[in-house]
Formats: sequence, structure tokens, C-alpha cells
Amino acid sequence: MTSHMPGEGVKRPPLFRLFKHCYGLAAPLLLFCLLSLLGFLLYHGAPSLNLSLLFGDVPPLEAISGRRPVWDGLWPAFTGTLCLIGLTMGLALLPGIGCGLYLAEYASPRRKKIIDSAVDILAGTPSIVMGLFGFTLILFLRRTLLPEANTGLLPASACLALLVLPVLIVGTREALEAVPESLRLTAAALGFSRSQRLRRVLLPAAGQGLWGGLILAIGRCAEDTAVIMLTGAVANAGLPAGLTAKFEALPFFVYYITAQYQTQEELLLGFGAALLLLLLAGGLTLLAHGLETGYRRRWQGGKR
Amino acid sequence: MTEGPEAPENIPEPEAVQLPGSVHLQDLSVNFGRHQALKNITAAFSPKGISVLVGRSGSGKTTLLRSINRLNEEFDACATSGQVYADFGQGLIPLYDNPDLFLPDLRLRAGMLFQNPNLFPVSVYRNLALPLQLAAGFPKAELPDRIRQALTSVGLWKELENRLDLPAERLSGGQQQRLCLARTLALEPRILLLDEPTASLDVHAAKEIEDLLLQLAGRYTVIMVSHSLAQAGRLGSRILVCEEGRLSATLDAGADFSEEMLARLL
Repeated sequence: MTSHMPGEGVKRPPLFRLFKHCYGLAAPLLLFCLLSLLGFLLYHGAPSLNLSLLFGDVPPLEAISGRRPVWDGLWPAFTGTLCLIGLTMGLALLPGIGCGLYLAEYASPRRKKIIDSAVDILAGTPSIVMGLFGFTLILFLRRTLLPEANTGLLPASACLALLVLPVLIVGTREALEAVPESLRLTAAALGFSRSQRLRRVLLPAAGQGLWGGLILAIGRCAEDTAVIMLTGAVANAGLPAGLTAKFEALPFFVYYITAQYQTQEELLLGFGAALLLLLLAGGLTLLAHGLETGYRRRWQGGKR
Repeated sequence: MTEGPEAPENIPEPEAVQLPGSVHLQDLSVNFGRHQALKNITAAFSPKGISVLVGRSGSGKTTLLRSINRLNEEFDACATSGQVYADFGQGLIPLYDNPDLFLPDLRLRAGMLFQNPNLFPVSVYRNLALPLQLAAGFPKAELPDRIRQALTSVGLWKELENRLDLPAERLSGGQQQRLCLARTLALEPRILLLDEPTASLDVHAAKEIEDLLLQLAGRYTVIMVSHSLAQAGRLGSRILVCEEGRLSATLDAGADFSEEMLARLL
């Protein structure tokens, strides 16, 4: 704090000063929590983080190409989580971003209010409730329209999509609303049609926020356990065989192994899996960040 | 720009408008919710010289300016009554309730410059290329030429010739505003609407913009809002005084444009 602050020298009440010190501590505290969490995970997980954690005793190439099944490695869970993320984002991306766009650009204030509260309710729904919903929906379908309905990759992705939908909606909406009003007005005054304005000016300008929402959604999707354990994830399924097949997933493995471990090695395997999950989410974040940077560069463009 | 359903001669000539002009406001009122920003304004703006709108803040100058390119409609709860006629080379056409008028077209023909240089957060080149390509629909092959012409017309070409890839935000304030002017001029407008274009600039940069505007005044219908009475006196060939949503006085060429005189009218 510099000595040129306006109001410097004014005697503040002690409570205010205490509060100021408290929020000064908040940021280092957050950093401390993050670092100790990472340190803890690395300490326990790093020793087991190697190729055999992923592939067991199967040669990596044969495991990746699917020629030999992996029974004592995390490769099936890793692929399961990747498939789950891909499928979920495929289902949620369009409606999520579309709804965010509608709210930010087109909705009347009245509709905005109604849809906002719906989104809030969806965002506040605990994931276990979403899982139960998916589970009962499958039961309902079995007894009525689809006797062959069962838990699997697709129902799990659909429920997860519901879970990440509000993240995408709110992210898109806030990113667009953060674009300065002057940019909107300038584009209008330069003769851009409404759709041109949205597509060629506002969306690219909101890019960073949009990708931020996307990354949050991917993270949420990668870590959630409650939904998938009720709708399709199992401890042992091998590589995901199709949309209706059961699948393995990293967060479910972590949950399962830490609840049921028999030996210390199994517990360490759980730490390894947690670290792997963190690396996967981190890798996807980096990828999204890279894509965003590339896209922004192209929009801001040099001459061509 | 397509012509209105009524040919120009069929438009009932507004009574109060006798001056030859290329923009006519007829009984124009603009409301934002319950707030009435403009109250039954009738006025005409001549095609030559600069018409300057002066008045206290909140007197409706900017709203008046934005009624000509219908930019008020971008704000919530805006309601406009009355009519604005403008001449884009094919006689006067009504701008409101005119099904043949495509709004983006109107905004290309009536270009606007804002108080702050509102550049897109992209390179100098892209700032000019985006509206040229998207809004005006010029083929990509024509862009380099048009961009060079536009930058030349505001005296920026020599400075920026080799720096077209530069992010536009890195230019100085005066350069940014000249770039905005170039961007607007590139779209080949007939009317220029300027909303306090020098208010955010230092004296030197403001002088450059003023000189440019005086050069442009012969070729475009220029309507400008100014915060400075001295500037209004320097640039205006006609000065209109806004007060609480009405035009309270109009000074034509030949009248006393001194600062003291104008200050008395406000």
C-alpha cells in the first residue's frame, strides 16, 4: 500500500483493520492450500506414476491399439474418462453455448429472469441427485418404452451433460456480457448485421471467457463420480466397447480403490490414479488454452 | 440504399422545413422508458459545411445524432415517434417505418464517429478490413487498395504503411481516432455523424482531427456534437443549441459564433 492513497491517515476502526489483514491473507492461503494439495498428491502418487500404472504388464503399443486387454493398469479407465468427456461435451456444447448466447443477446428481460432461475436450480442440483435421476430414468424406460435400456456410456454422458450445462450457459453468458458495450455499439454503427456482430465481433472478443467456461465444464466432467457410478461406471469393464457398454473411469477408480483397498500398494495405486486424472484435466486445459490462443491470433490477425 | 415506397416528390414536405438540406427531422421525439430525451424536434441539416450541436450534458445532443443512424434502437426501451428523412443521393427517403430500408445499409451511408476511439481489439489492418468485407461486402481483392486510400485520406498511411499488423490499441489516442475516421470513410458514407470526436484527445491531436473535418465538410453532410463552444465556433457553419430535448436556438452562417455569444445561449 502506498502512502498516497486517498484517505490515508484517517483512523479506521480496529474491526476494519482486522478485516483488511484477513483478506490480505486470503490469497496466500489459497496458494498454500493448492500447493500442499499438489505436494501431497505428488508425494504419494509420483512413485507409482509410470507406464505400468497405465498399462500393467502389457506392452503400451498393443494396449493402445486394443490388441491386448489391460487388466491391471489404468488404461481402460483413462480411455473411459476421455470418451466420457468427449461424449458429454458433444452433447452439452451446443445447447449450453446456445442458451448462453440467447440469454446474453436475444432474451427479453422477463424471459431472462425465468431461464436464469431454471439455470440456477440446475446449477444447484447436487451431482448425486443427477445420478439418481439418470438411474430412475433408466428404470422408467425399461418398464415402458425401452425394455433393453441399461446403464452405460451414453446415459452417463447424458446425465453429466445436464450437470455441466449450467457451467457452459453461465460461462458463455458472462463472457459475452463482459464485452464492452462500446464494441457492440461500434459494430452496429459500422453496419454489421446482428448475426455478423455476434459471430465476427462479440464472440471472438469474448473468446477468453468462453474458453474459460469450456475448461471449467471439462474439469467438472472429468472429476465427477456420483453421476457415473449410478449410471454406467464399473470397476472392471476393459476399454469402452460402445455407447451402451459399461465403462471404467478414473474418478470412479479412485473412489473405489480408496474405499476397498486391501494392501498399501492398492492405496498408492489410488494416488497414482488421482495424479493421472489431474494430469489429464491439466493437459486438456493446456490444449484448450492453446486452441484459444491460436484462434485469437487468427482473429486479431496480421495483414491476412 | 433502396428508395422508399414513396418517391421523394410524394413525401409531404414538412412545413417547418424550408431550407435545402440532406437530413430533415420532423416532429421527432425519442423516449427511453419514461424519460423523454427528445421532444418534437423539427430541423434540417444542410449538405455543405459542418452543423454543430451544442448544449449541456443530458440535453439530447447525442440522442439527436443517433436518431439519424437509428442507433438509439440498440438501447432498451427506446421508442421513437416522428420521422427523419435523409438524402443519400436519390432524394429524401424516410428512415423510420420504411420497409425498404435495410438498417445496416442506413448505417453504412450515415457513418458515425464516437467520443472514444472505439477500435476493435485487432490489428490496424483488420480494423479496416472487417467492416469493409462484412458490412459493405467488398471483395477481398479490393481490400488492400481501399484500406490504403482510407488511411491516406486521414493522413495515416505514411505512419502506418509498414505497421498494419500492429494491434490497433498500441496507436496513440490521436492516431486511434484518425483510424476510426478512416474506418468510417472507407465505407463511403454520405453523411458523417460525429459525437464529440475530439473530447478524449489532447490539444494537438484534436487540432489534427479538426483540420481533417474541415477538409471533409465539402464532401459530406457533417453533423457534429461538440462539448467545446470554442470548437463549435471554429468548425461550425451552423450551430444548433439543444436544451432539455428541444432545439432552443439556431445560429446560421454569418451570425456571431464567438464563445461569449454561445455561452449566453446555453
